[in-house]
Amino acid sequence: MTQKSNDLKENTHTGKGIIYDSGTIKVVAFACVIIFIAVVLTGAVSYFITRAAVVERLKTHDLIYMLEEVSAKIDGRIERAKETALLLSRDQTVIQWIISAEQDERLGLYSKKKIDEIAHNYDYANAFIVSKVTNHYWAEGSRIIQTMTESDPNAKWFFDTIASGKAIDVKIDHDGIRQETFIFINTLVGAAENPIAVAGVGLRLEDIAEEFRKHKFSETSKLWLVDKQGKIHLSDDVSQNGRSLREFIPDVVFSKIIEDHMPIDYRSLEYTDAYGEIIDMAYKSTESTDWKLVLQIPRNESIAVLGSIKSNTAIAGMITLLLMIFIFYVISHRIADPLKRAILLTQEMESQVDERTKELAEKNQEVMDSITYAKRLQEAILATREDLDCVLGDYFVLWKPRDTVGGDFFWAHRMASGSGFIALVDCTGHGVPGAFMTMVVNSALHDIIVQGMITPAEILTELNRRIKAILHRNNHGQITDDGLDIGICYVDRAHKQIVFAGAKLALYIKQGAKVRVIKGDKQSIGYRSLPSDLKFTNHKLACLPGDHIYLTTDGYIDQNGGEKNYSLGRTRLLQLISKYEKISMLEQREAFETDLNTYMGSEQQRDDITMVGFLMK
Amino acid sequence: MQNIFIEKTKSTPQIEFDTQSHILSIEGQSYPENAFKFYEPVFQWLDTQLEQSQREVILELNFHMPYINTSSSKCIMMLLEKLENSYRKGKKITIRWYYNEDNEVALECAEEFKEDLTLPFDLCMVEET
Repeated sequence: MTQKSNDLKENTHTGKGIIYDSGTIKVVAFACVIIFIAVVLTGAVSYFITRAAVVERLKTHDLIYMLEEVSAKIDGRIERAKETALLLSRDQTVIQWIISAEQDERLGLYSKKKIDEIAHNYDYANAFIVSKVTNHYWAEGSRIIQTMTESDPNAKWFFDTIASGKAIDVKIDHDGIRQETFIFINTLVGAAENPIAVAGVGLRLEDIAEEFRKHKFSETSKLWLVDKQGKIHLSDDVSQNGRSLREFIPDVVFSKIIEDHMPIDYRSLEYTDAYGEIIDMAYKSTESTDWKLVLQIPRNESIAVLGSIKSNTAIAGMITLLLMIFIFYVISHRIADPLKRAILLTQEMESQVDERTKELAEKNQEVMDSITYAKRLQEAILATREDLDCVLGDYFVLWKPRDTVGGDFFWAHRMASGSGFIALVDCTGHGVPGAFMTMVVNSALHDIIVQGMITPAEILTELNRRIKAILHRNNHGQITDDGLDIGICYVDRAHKQIVFAGAKLALYIKQGAKVRVIKGDKQSIGYRSLPSDLKFTNHKLACLPGDHIYLTTDGYIDQNGGEKNYSLGRTRLLQLISKYEKISMLEQREAFETDLNTYMGSEQQRDDITMVGFLMK
Repeated sequence: MQNIFIEKTKSTPQIEFDTQSHILSIEGQSYPENAFKFYEPVFQWLDTQLEQSQREVILELNFHMPYINTSSSKCIMMLLEKLENSYRKGKKITIRWYYNEDNEVALECAEEFKEDLTLPFDLCMVEET
């Protein structure tokens, strides 16, 4: 018991261990995993949604916006150039000058000054008037740089323009004389059907390339201006000028862009390049020319902004995760707290119980010590071996008090003749009250025998009188009624004779194969209701050598057990007596005890059990 | 008539008075440490019943007690003696004592009780199922 309670203490002392047992840790870990998954999932989902939105915006908005802007710049530049060119070609003074075949000095001065002004003040690469009248090519700086002749290939454009009848025309051309590519804005001077000259301005492509560079999206993005054949006329990278777009994009994409004869609307598309990178492309026609602006951006570059979103989301996720775990920890701690208190309370109660158990154990020990001592006293009143040897000769005694002490005892008295008395007494109750009774009865029996009572019946009559006198002197008002059952036997082995008297206690005698029960009188001894002069019957029995004689208190036959948990019963006892016919008295003691234990099984002993058996020799 | 009910334990029988049928049932083993203390309420109850009703009392008692230790049997005897006295005074009292077929100790015990009584005392065997 003490060991067990120590074990309990060790288990419960570490209260924290109980609160945070493996189950709790599992729950916490499980919750953390769930939170982690939730946060990662939320982050990932929001990242992909954002990414999709960004890509969508890129395709439908950003790329287009960029193209629009560049296109607008170019168109604006060209439109301005057109206006400027018209300013020159519609100037009446200039027209007069041309008509005068550049002879009028005053007009000529104005016109040449006008050409110079346009070229320099309006920031054009060049400005010119080519007269059909004189075929002179007037350029800025008041100089004639060429006289057009139809046979000159460099002059072909002039005659074509005159012949085209288009009041205004935009041409991108490599100027052989100037050794540079220009966008020329050619306007017809005078009536379109019969022009007198071509006037215009030239824009350096380089200037527009500047716009390209200004609008460069990223390091690896590309912006091209391509003609109908896909020839690159302008790139933010000057080295690509003059090459084919085909060299920089897959054929399929190239064909798609070139063969797309849409008017001015934009288009966007994507493809995966040889390195597995997604490339976005957008293109649109310019308004002032039938060329196309093509924009190419690797997806990675365009959504580079997502990188920071990604890392920010990850950081936010981590913070959320840590916060959630912290909150969860705090909550679980708070929730665990009442449990902890309960455990502490339990521990306190357990320690109180332990203390009380200890106190009880001490008290119990005191009582048990006292009873154990009493047992020595009780054993002292039992018949001595010498007396029993003398009176019974070959015999056995089975004395099994239910508790440490009991209400059963056996008594013997030897006479000088070698004969003597044996008695079995069963006082009401068992345990300590029974033991008190045995002391009283024992001393009464001694007194009686000393006074010279001869027969068992006389002894019982006297015992009844005395016990009644002793027990019922002073207990008015209390319902107690104590007494005893007794079987007493005078044994005269020399004459093979026994005299038995019983008070509710029987004698069993096995003679040959037959077992007889001598029941004795029905009255007990000492009870209040009994008369003081109660008479008992002597049963004189003549014995033969080999007869087995037994006295037993009701403890043996009343003991419950067996299949139905009934008392062992008298019939079974008689069967046992018959069964032990052949074995010695000493062995019978073992046999009676063993058979009783077998019958009892796991049942507890009900009453004190005493049995005496002897062999008549 | 007053009611009485005592619950059954391992060592004491159930004691119950049915006010409808006027039957007192005592059912179960009886070997308490202090039998007089256990049966005292029953004695008191019975005394009250027998005294209060001056009219003709019809009382049936059913006993079914597989084991009775010595001191309990003294109490049962005292109980039966009270009933015997009332019976002799003209109260109508009958006793039925049930015992199990194979339980010879219970039968012997009942027979001993019956021997000294004049009131109707039926021994009823309960067949084993």
